[in-house]
Amino acid sequence: MNDLSVHFEGVSKIYPHFTLDDLNLELPAGTIMGLIGANGAGKSTTIRILMGLVHQDRGRVHVLGREMPREQAAAKLDIGFVSEDMRLYGSATLAWHMKFIRSIYPQWDQPYAETLLRRFDLKPQQKIKGLSHGQRVKAALLLALARRPRLLVLDEPTTGLDPVARQEVLGELMAVLADEDRTILFSSHNTLDVEQISDQIAFIDRGRIIASDNKEIFLDRWRRLRLVLSQEAELPSLPGVVEVGGSGRLPVLVTNRFDPAMVSACNDAGATVQAVDPMTLEEIFVANVHSRREKQTV
Amino acid sequence: MNYAMVKQLILKDWYLQRWAILASLAGVVATLGIIATGGKVAFLIGLILLIMVIISIGAHMTVSTIVTERKEQTLPFVMSLPISYREYTASKIWGNLLIFLVPWLTMLLGSLGMLLWSPSSRGLVPYAAIMSTEILLSTCLILAVALITESQGWAVAAIMVGNLAVNGIGYVVAHIPGIAKGMWGPTIQWSGAASAVLLAEFILIVLLLGATFLVQARKKDFL
Repeated sequence: MNDLSVHFEGVSKIYPHFTLDDLNLELPAGTIMGLIGANGAGKSTTIRILMGLVHQDRGRVHVLGREMPREQAAAKLDIGFVSEDMRLYGSATLAWHMKFIRSIYPQWDQPYAETLLRRFDLKPQQKIKGLSHGQRVKAALLLALARRPRLLVLDEPTTGLDPVARQEVLGELMAVLADEDRTILFSSHNTLDVEQISDQIAFIDRGRIIASDNKEIFLDRWRRLRLVLSQEAELPSLPGVVEVGGSGRLPVLVTNRFDPAMVSACNDAGATVQAVDPMTLEEIFVANVHSRREKQTV
Repeated sequence: MNYAMVKQLILKDWYLQRWAILASLAGVVATLGIIATGGKVAFLIGLILLIMVIISIGAHMTVSTIVTERKEQTLPFVMSLPISYREYTASKIWGNLLIFLVPWLTMLLGSLGMLLWSPSSRGLVPYAAIMSTEILLSTCLILAVALITESQGWAVAAIMVGNLAVNGIGYVVAHIPGIAKGMWGPTIQWSGAASAVLLAEFILIVLLLGATFLVQARKKDFL
């Protein structure tokens, strides 16, 4: 338990039109996990349960060794949280927000906060209502980071940002994260954002974690194979095939257990491997979701 | 209960509402000034304005610090702090009550002072105390509804009920024989009926706020 920053065991939450079902999730200390899911998949509900803001109906949740939601106040002392639907007080300045947070968190790091002010190009005396959306996200990140949290929870922080602001925020975030050894849970429906930042990936769909692994393992194991079958050859039986596309003599297979030996196995079976294409995280996510949904409907 | 956090949250609301608090205080002092001019018309206009100002302050503070916090999505920021919903509820109840008590006590002390100053109107003191407490009760009702429902619609409904209650209870209390008897006299007649009404108002305030804590403690979803 001690080396796990986040531990969900059989967590369920039932709403009239949505169920988070038997969620199991482990986030070891020091890792950056990207939680990827479509809109409405259950990412925000998962994070709200993690923060103690929504109480699970079943299952156990431990965050930084604290039982949630019972010990949420103590746990949140070590958590920095930024979410897409979080706003700061428009009529107050960033300086006031910094002073307010400093009065609550004894570990607040003022020199670091000032470094972040310069890095994010923020003016402390400016009122929040005068900031652009990108600047507001940066301000919220500053407030979360300068309290030196052991766990940083980012719930779709780049949603709603224009491409330039998104890249700025991600770039700054990556630069900040490079300095530190933090545990981070980063949720997004944008796989490109998650791919840039995370080293662990969890896919969530329709209230269930459908896959969770190291990012490099995902990228290494998932491949798209373009085959050409000879006249009499059958489609070879390969391990981990989750999707078969293409047509007739030109099938396209997607596998989640790629091994270079597969190419020779295909050749032996009378199928020529025309190409072995690596897949992006987005393609892996979509293939994973389709495969799971098809299994559910069968 | 983490009282240090509750205090920080109260101070936050006080800071964010500082101009509204000052404006309300100025409004109460101005309307008391109108009443103090002495004329009958000025008394009537001042009294109506005073009640309007006080009720508006209670409603405005509650809506600004609770409903708007959810509407403008600053609630996730507050709830990301090291607090539970108990601390949040306590800070909102105590914070709003303390903010409201500033103009309310100014109104109470000012109006009682003026009634005691003028020998012919001293009989109104019990009625003024009851009605002032009724306004406090109405504000607590708005506060409880806003906290429990977190809905602007329900808060507006509570404001309307609170407003009507001030008028309705004002009429009913003025016609209770034990209170009505000495109301327009030169001396304070603190009857058993007046004490019972006042006590009932305070009991209702305690019950309302206690029930709010209980309901909040049973909530499972805060965002």
